[in-house]
Amino acid sequence: MLCIVLSLMVVLTGLSVVGQQYGGTLRYATIGEPPHLDLMVVTSDLSSTIGQHIFETLFTFDETYSPIPLLVDTYEKNADGTAVTFHLRQGVLFHNGEEMDSSDVVASLERWGEYGTRGAIMYKHVVDTVAVDKYTVKLVFDEPFGPMESLLAFNNGGPCIIPKEIAECAGIEPITPEQYIGTGPYEFSEWVSGRYIRLVRFEDYKSPEGDPTGYGGARHAYLDAIDFIPVSEAGTRVAGLQAGDYDYAEQIPADLYSSLVADSNVTTYLLKPPLFPMLFRNTQEGIMSNDLMLQAVLAALDMEPILLAAFGDLAAVNGSVFPEGTAWYTDAGTESYSQADIEKAQELLAQAGYNKEPIRYLVTTSYEQMYAMSMVISDQLRRAGFNIQMRVYDWATLTQYRGQSDEWELFMTWHGPVPDPSLIAPMSTTYPGWWDTPEKNALVEAFNSSTSFNDRYAIWEEIQTLQYEEGSWIKLGDAFSLNIAANQQVEGLDDPQQPPLLWPYFWNIWLK
Amino acid sequence: MVTYLVRRVLAMLPTLLIVMIVSFFLIHFIPGDPASVMLGPHATADQIEKLQHAMGLDQSIGMQFVKYVSQIFQGDFGQSLLFHKPVTELLLERAETSVMLALLSMIVVFCVGIPSGIVAAIKRNTWIDQVLLTIALLGASIPSFWLGLVLILAFAVRLHWLPSSGYPPIFATGDLANLRYLILPAITLGFSNSALLARLTRSSMLDVLQEDYVNTARAKGVTNYRVILQHALRNASIPIVTVLSFTFAGLLSGTVVTESVFALAGIGRLVVESVLGRDYPTIQAIMLVVAFIYLFVNFVTDVIYAFLDPRIQYH
Repeated sequence: MLCIVLSLMVVLTGLSVVGQQYGGTLRYATIGEPPHLDLMVVTSDLSSTIGQHIFETLFTFDETYSPIPLLVDTYEKNADGTAVTFHLRQGVLFHNGEEMDSSDVVASLERWGEYGTRGAIMYKHVVDTVAVDKYTVKLVFDEPFGPMESLLAFNNGGPCIIPKEIAECAGIEPITPEQYIGTGPYEFSEWVSGRYIRLVRFEDYKSPEGDPTGYGGARHAYLDAIDFIPVSEAGTRVAGLQAGDYDYAEQIPADLYSSLVADSNVTTYLLKPPLFPMLFRNTQEGIMSNDLMLQAVLAALDMEPILLAAFGDLAAVNGSVFPEGTAWYTDAGTESYSQADIEKAQELLAQAGYNKEPIRYLVTTSYEQMYAMSMVISDQLRRAGFNIQMRVYDWATLTQYRGQSDEWELFMTWHGPVPDPSLIAPMSTTYPGWWDTPEKNALVEAFNSSTSFNDRYAIWEEIQTLQYEEGSWIKLGDAFSLNIAANQQVEGLDDPQQPPLLWPYFWNIWLK
Repeated sequence: MVTYLVRRVLAMLPTLLIVMIVSFFLIHFIPGDPASVMLGPHATADQIEKLQHAMGLDQSIGMQFVKYVSQIFQGDFGQSLLFHKPVTELLLERAETSVMLALLSMIVVFCVGIPSGIVAAIKRNTWIDQVLLTIALLGASIPSFWLGLVLILAFAVRLHWLPSSGYPPIFATGDLANLRYLILPAITLGFSNSALLARLTRSSMLDVLQEDYVNTARAKGVTNYRVILQHALRNASIPIVTVLSFTFAGLLSGTVVTESVFALAGIGRLVVESVLGRDYPTIQAIMLVVAFIYLFVNFVTDVIYAFLDPRIQYH
């Protein structure tokens, strides 16, 4: 009897038997403010970190980064894989109280197909998007499309489902805060510029079923609210968390790692999978369009000091585009990676007929790690005989110049982890660097139209090998982001079924 | 005097007009555009073009300028591209933090800088003078980001006396206790500015204390206290007021480093965010407002000169 009474008390007071607790506001110190939260048309990581609590996609990723249904209940493909029928979960409500149905999904997918950052990758193969009935949507492709599930699961520049009336009116311009209406466990509440973006629990949220796994499975919104607070200084993010003003802080500099690990009040999280810095060459015009110049750069670079300068111990030398332990990892072609052979580089430069022509290297100071890596890269290339002219800009200027093929020979950026090679931005021929050769295009076409993982993996190995021979970019290594939490306050982050992924999420997380 | 004041107010208008024109063309001629910032690092060229078109950024620069000027003359700074709200509303949101921080910092400057300078001048070449001068040198030399972080570590992390960062505005929350959020930033800003003022006050006072009228006052038996505060300090005030007024104008216009260290949503951080994000309407508005602040403070300073020294005549 006593047990029953106690159990009832626990339920009535909002406490579950395993310690999860409702209530409280989690204060998350971010590196700044996102440009906006319209995830369809933005590839900012911060937008995804915040927006994923508001907006949901048809699929999401489990702990192994494999796509699994989220807003979809079940789905099936026809025999040749050109028609896919999605049966939506029923009773899922938008934050405006209306039920999500097939018309919302069709309108959202069509907007994403036309304006979304990654929409064109899929929609150039989509012939029709049909609402079959209230809870059924059918996609018709011109040929089988292998990465469909991954694209429908990836929210960064991805197909988030929003109400039809918003999706139909929205064009390329980002939707506004009052239109931030999704189906997620938290709803948008307030954006006070410079101070916080506040999300509050969506009381009528309908969670998917099943045990939590990665971004998938059941989602419980234990927190009353989440405040994303812009704190641009890394030292302040750390000190603020130690002082009890924040519960969670992101992107902590690598040189603080060892001292934070030793701090019993702080828990450190290395986000996996890693992001990867990339050095681009201009394949469209100029001296670097010669493939022998690419080989010379590959011969000259020594990745360990490059990564060390920017990420300290939080990096790994890895020439595979995908990190070890993931499905797409392969060492194909990586014998060219990180050779640190200056003599070979000099020979290749001579073979290329290089005569000290200036090589304009676009560098940004907006991201200090990019700048640190660029300093080491420039030094290594100069020692091999390249006439490097660094052009240092802020990020907005760099993004404009990198789009103009007559303005540069080299530039640096980085790329967040993706679950499928088709989502790597420079796989597109229009991405600056403009890798556009018949061999590469044929391989990419074959890769996208194949639905068998083994076939796709074999093609991916060929693509990676070709990238080292003629590609527009060189992967520099793996870099892990360091986030921290106040371990006296936050619970649920250490669940092994929910490893720290790129965009930390706060459903299934509670405060002590 | 009244004619002079009216003339000065009218003279502000062409200055503001020039700032308006220069700020518009300056920001539009630097590379980078808001569309690529809004779409993120992996936006496609096609996407950027479509957004530029939707935002009217592909119109001729002349057309955009005409639109901008007509908006300004209707009292409208336009819509912030980054913050999704009218620029006027955005500026008002951010202004409270900057104004409150400027006022508190000025209190620190006033209470520390001027008394230190006076004492150093009176105790010239003694150990007190040397100590005060050394502290002033330190204050002028220590970078504010370092001082800010040290204060956070001491008073927020170790002692837990004060919050480390942020500031919930008192006008929005109605809670005066929120001023405690600004104590550390005000000390950070006030310390470096006090150092400059202390040195200036000391040298001005030293000049004045050697004047004949000071000796005459002493000979007439005027108390030391009155000699220093009524005779010497008043006559030494002109350069002090000049520096104080421009310090205040600088603080009102935003202090980027201190606002960043303490995560304060003030005008200084807004400037950086707007420039990096190429938020044209916001940058243009801030430049106009900052220009106005400087003009206004300059104007008030001139009026104070006349009050301090009746020999100054304006025509």
